[in-house]
Amino acid sequence: MDWQQIANGSWIWICGAVLAAIALYQCTSFALLAVKLLRRYGLEKREVMGMLRGAAITSVGPILVELFVMVALVVALSPGIAWQREGAAVGSVITELIQATNAAAGAGQELGGDNFDLIGFANVIFVMNISCIGWMLAAGFFTRYLGRARQKIAGGDDRWLIVLSVCATLGIFGFWASTNLVKGGGALVAVVAGAILAAFFFKLADRIGKPRLKEWALGLAMFGGMFIGKLSAGWGG
Amino acid sequence: MRTGKKLQAICPKVYAEEFSRPVHKIGMITCGLAVLANLLPPAWLYLQYGVFPPAAAIAKGMGLALTYAVPFFIIEPIIYYPVLGDAGTYMSFLSGNIANMRLPCAAVAQAVAGVEEGTREGELIGTVGIALSIWLSIFAVLIGALATGWFVQFFSPWLQDAFKSYLLPATWGAVFGLFALRGLRYAPAALVLALTVILLKWPPYIAIPITVFGTILVGRVIYCHSHGRTLGPDRQRTPEL
Repeated sequence: MDWQQIANGSWIWICGAVLAAIALYQCTSFALLAVKLLRRYGLEKREVMGMLRGAAITSVGPILVELFVMVALVVALSPGIAWQREGAAVGSVITELIQATNAAAGAGQELGGDNFDLIGFANVIFVMNISCIGWMLAAGFFTRYLGRARQKIAGGDDRWLIVLSVCATLGIFGFWASTNLVKGGGALVAVVAGAILAAFFFKLADRIGKPRLKEWALGLAMFGGMFIGKLSAGWGG
Repeated sequence: MRTGKKLQAICPKVYAEEFSRPVHKIGMITCGLAVLANLLPPAWLYLQYGVFPPAAAIAKGMGLALTYAVPFFIIEPIIYYPVLGDAGTYMSFLSGNIANMRLPCAAVAQAVAGVEEGTREGELIGTVGIALSIWLSIFAVLIGALATGWFVQFFSPWLQDAFKSYLLPATWGAVFGLFALRGLRYAPAALVLALTVILLKWPPYIAIPITVFGTILVGRVIYCHSHGRTLGPDRQRTPEL
């Protein structure tokens, strides 16, 4: 059976719905507990509505950006998998793409490549779902100890935690970017164009005083880099 | 619409009994259920279609994935906890999109209500803001996945090839470019290490850990050197990365 047929089956939509139901139950329970206490201590109903309106307006931009970037996951795998991983799973679209690429590489294949088959797909499903469990375990079992853990690991130097995260991200994305750099041609151009465009849009947002542009910078750079890469490879290439 | 003056200070005992305790209970149970829900897709794929990846592919794939993810399992909850609080941490690490959506929504709700982050009132109000953003994003992603899947079939062969061949390279480049801006002095080390192991044709399960941990090590050396520190942690704070 072709992996794309399986990837579009109803089973994956149901799996996504189960995860979404758990997330909705959790956040609704927490919100009701919070509102109950806030109302008792003097917060009025119209003020609760004001908070909700502010949070809703703030959500719109990031949600649109997420949907824009999610096209990559839909095209690389399937709409059902994009729903299962992005409806209520911890990883962003970019995280899921890197984990899918890692999983395909583990099976000796290339995500989106001609050699990607059912075994590669099964490995992507396994690795994407299992590798994110660490975040849930960390939250589920260690949240109550996080205040103390933060002090121990940072040793009073919070800035180092940020540098460590930046270095880990540069390492993994540097690796996968480099695998395309050495291919040359359109792939090399797409990597370089994506990097330059992302940096450009980020700097531009600062220069023209439009911080909201930063939310769109990554998506614009991804698609801009893709088109430039394809055009450099030739119209028919 | 600022309510900070009207909202009374919440009694710590009431807060612990009526918010913190049930939050930890519900948080642990729901995170446990989410772990089980993540086991469902590979299990279903095997039970319905009889497909399961070979052990070697799983070992290599998980090795690569965890090389990337493990530092973030530890670092992210610690970094975000002071802003998110208990309930926000449980919600954010189940539903994702922390930096781009959950944190801004919590901050806006707190600003509208006129309370400060890190306080009990701030955590309650941030919880409401994050919860709403989760409802909105889940339904938006459902509609978006259905709509995008429908649209993709109308893409021309040229556009389909552009997506298939060049979107991922552009994505890796874009994210690298973005993070290079945040840590310009660490980016060359990542590229040099990555290109070296690739040109040596080492397999990814060796090459990726070397690149990631090598970049972290070089980052630590540069960080300590540029701030005149020893390699061990100290308590001096610095304004830049």
